[in-house]
Amino acid sequence: MHPATPPTTNAPAGRNHRTALPRRRLLRGLLAVTVAAPLMFGAAACGDDDGGAADPNAPVKLSIFWWGGDARAKLTEDALALYTKKHPNVTFEKTWQANQGYFDKLATLTAGGNPPDLFQIDDNYLAEYAARNTTLDLTSYQKSGKLDTSKFPESLWQYGVVDGKLAGLAAGENTQGLVYNKTLLTKHNLPEPTTGMSWEEHIAWAEQVTAKTKVPGTQDPSADYKAFWVWLRQQGKDLYKGKELGFTAEDVTKWFDLWKGARDRKATPTADVIHEGNATDITKQLVVTGKAGTSWVWANQMPDLKKNTKDELGVIAYPGDPSAQWARASMYWSVFKGSKNKDVAIDVINFLNNDVEAVKLLGTDRGLPSNLDLRRVVSDDTTDPAMKQSIAVEAELTQKFGASPQVPIKGHSKVKSELIKAAENAQYGRATPAEAAAQFIEACKSAIA
Amino acid sequence: MALTTAPDPTRRGPGSDRAHAERRGPGRFRNSEGLAGYVFLSPWLIGLMGITAVPMLLSLYLSFTNYDILTPFSEVQWVGLANYERMFTADPSYWHAVRVTLTFALIAVPLKLAAALGVALLLNRAWRGVGVFRGLFYLPSLLGGSVALAIVWVNMFNRDGAFNSLLSLFGITGKPWVNDPDWALETLMVLAIWQFGAPMVIFLAGLKQVPTELYEAASVDGAGRFRQFRNVTLPMLSPVIFFNLVLETINGFQGFTAAFVLSNGTGGPVDSTLMYTLNLYITGFTDLNMGYASAMAWVFLLAIAVITAIFFSTGRFWVHYSDGEDR
Repeated sequence: MHPATPPTTNAPAGRNHRTALPRRRLLRGLLAVTVAAPLMFGAAACGDDDGGAADPNAPVKLSIFWWGGDARAKLTEDALALYTKKHPNVTFEKTWQANQGYFDKLATLTAGGNPPDLFQIDDNYLAEYAARNTTLDLTSYQKSGKLDTSKFPESLWQYGVVDGKLAGLAAGENTQGLVYNKTLLTKHNLPEPTTGMSWEEHIAWAEQVTAKTKVPGTQDPSADYKAFWVWLRQQGKDLYKGKELGFTAEDVTKWFDLWKGARDRKATPTADVIHEGNATDITKQLVVTGKAGTSWVWANQMPDLKKNTKDELGVIAYPGDPSAQWARASMYWSVFKGSKNKDVAIDVINFLNNDVEAVKLLGTDRGLPSNLDLRRVVSDDTTDPAMKQSIAVEAELTQKFGASPQVPIKGHSKVKSELIKAAENAQYGRATPAEAAAQFIEACKSAIA
Repeated sequence: MALTTAPDPTRRGPGSDRAHAERRGPGRFRNSEGLAGYVFLSPWLIGLMGITAVPMLLSLYLSFTNYDILTPFSEVQWVGLANYERMFTADPSYWHAVRVTLTFALIAVPLKLAAALGVALLLNRAWRGVGVFRGLFYLPSLLGGSVALAIVWVNMFNRDGAFNSLLSLFGITGKPWVNDPDWALETLMVLAIWQFGAPMVIFLAGLKQVPTELYEAASVDGAGRFRQFRNVTLPMLSPVIFFNLVLETINGFQGFTAAFVLSNGTGGPVDSTLMYTLNLYITGFTDLNMGYASAMAWVFLLAIAVITAIFFSTGRFWVHYSDGEDR
């Protein structure tokens, strides 16, 4: 930090050729700093609204951001390379990372005035972004056919509509999937669970698994919003109704009671293990760490789960009436409203969803392809057994799906984490189900206010 | 950018700067030296202004708004004291985080200092290989607030971690420490205490400064080991203790990384590791209440300032500076 010789020691001998050099370098450095600083700060101020480029062949660098693992990165990069091959003027600035921290980063990029042109988002955050006008309304592009959704199931693209605006286009379809350890069951001659079992039957089955295998039969999903959601829909309720909660404290109490009963019967692991499984990280799911017989996940996560265990896995719908489940947009592609490359971004989304080669490359990594024609093509082509399983269960459920609920509202991410907190309070025995439910409702009200 | 508001550069650099400046004499050189000083300071200065001072002031403004990160600055609405009101009247998880942080600091900081002083006393002897031990004890604190260390900690203290294996050798069934709401915070405290190397090194330096004649005089007067420690070592060391206390308290309040990693960024299980800064982070970046999070940050800054001020004002009753007698 501190120069061995103070620079000014040379200053009096300024005419000396040898000592003039550092001085000049110094000035040049100073100049560089003065020039660079405003550039750096100025960059943050860019990114204002501007329509698409007029010249279709002008070079475009499109920034794109998604979450996922190595496998997804590889597939996505291949598909994007294919796009560049067809449109040599378009190149991509690709950024990807794990799910944890993704939305923190996306929010920070947005705040910095430098969000990606195109980004992956899911229903946990779609409304947060749409309500704040961060996402481009895709409706006009859909109407003009630039964004072709004619082969999409109606309910699938509609699950991207927030406040009448198409805030994101489904990058794939998935639904809730209960993944269970087949190997464990076969080894102990236990029956496999089936779609349509009631919650009571599921818990009784899990109790039996625990008794025979010494592995807790099922993960306790009381902290899991998607399980709670399915259960609510089976009770004729919903997670949200308009801008309000779609359930009451009594509903939550019943839900927590159901699982308290299951814990008491040793159908589930102990609270600390349940807590481990409550992490969203695939590698921590109890069905792959061997700490429980099931995990409550999304059906398209099967292949990823399979990569983390040697055991055979099976996947079915969540217990109860499967019509409570719906064709969910597993994730969306959204365009930043202030993007300078809107038209290109739209075209890329269209390509990733409707181009047969691209869709084949992407497979079912982001869920079943949204385009039904291409979904058939991909299903026929798939060789990965885990992927086949998830396709099979979703194909079976497609016949039974109910109507899509509304996209979760602004404040949903807080509701999700509050549910975990309340459920764990009950699981660790620090609160009764009724107390935990009351606490949850209270927290939700301020979260969505 | 207002370069003129820069703090006196000599306050940052080593003291020799000032000595140089005074020795140089004539004003002409002093001025050009001053300019060079600023030039050399400029990377830091630009950093201070751009990365610290300006954002800090901005956050003060934001703490009176409903800023949510995603909304552009131009549409941010002024909400007056609403964020501060909410913090003090309507947010139980805020107060929970305050409690967690206070518990952490009140237990971990004194224990860490005690461990640092204890080990420093042991290592302040002319044993063979004492240097190696000094190095070894200092090592953990080099790893600082590292993510890797926190991950190791999680794996050591979960249900089937190394610590429980050790316990089982003695026939004790351990707990799932990091996943137990009654023990997760304690696990973090142990991690913090284990990293006592930095204050230890400072204590060691302090111990070397204690004049041996004081010990000699004390032993001539018949003072035993303990009396020597209480009446010579502690008073002579009090400025160093004070320094470490202030620094470690501030560090303790700011604990973030380990809690973040251990809880996957949630503060769980059941908010047991919801440190103040973690709660602030979640509020700002996950819940997108950046205005409110800014208000939290300012209250935090003030709270730490007040606590430090209390230390300084009570310091004169127990911190003993020997400068006067030396001269």
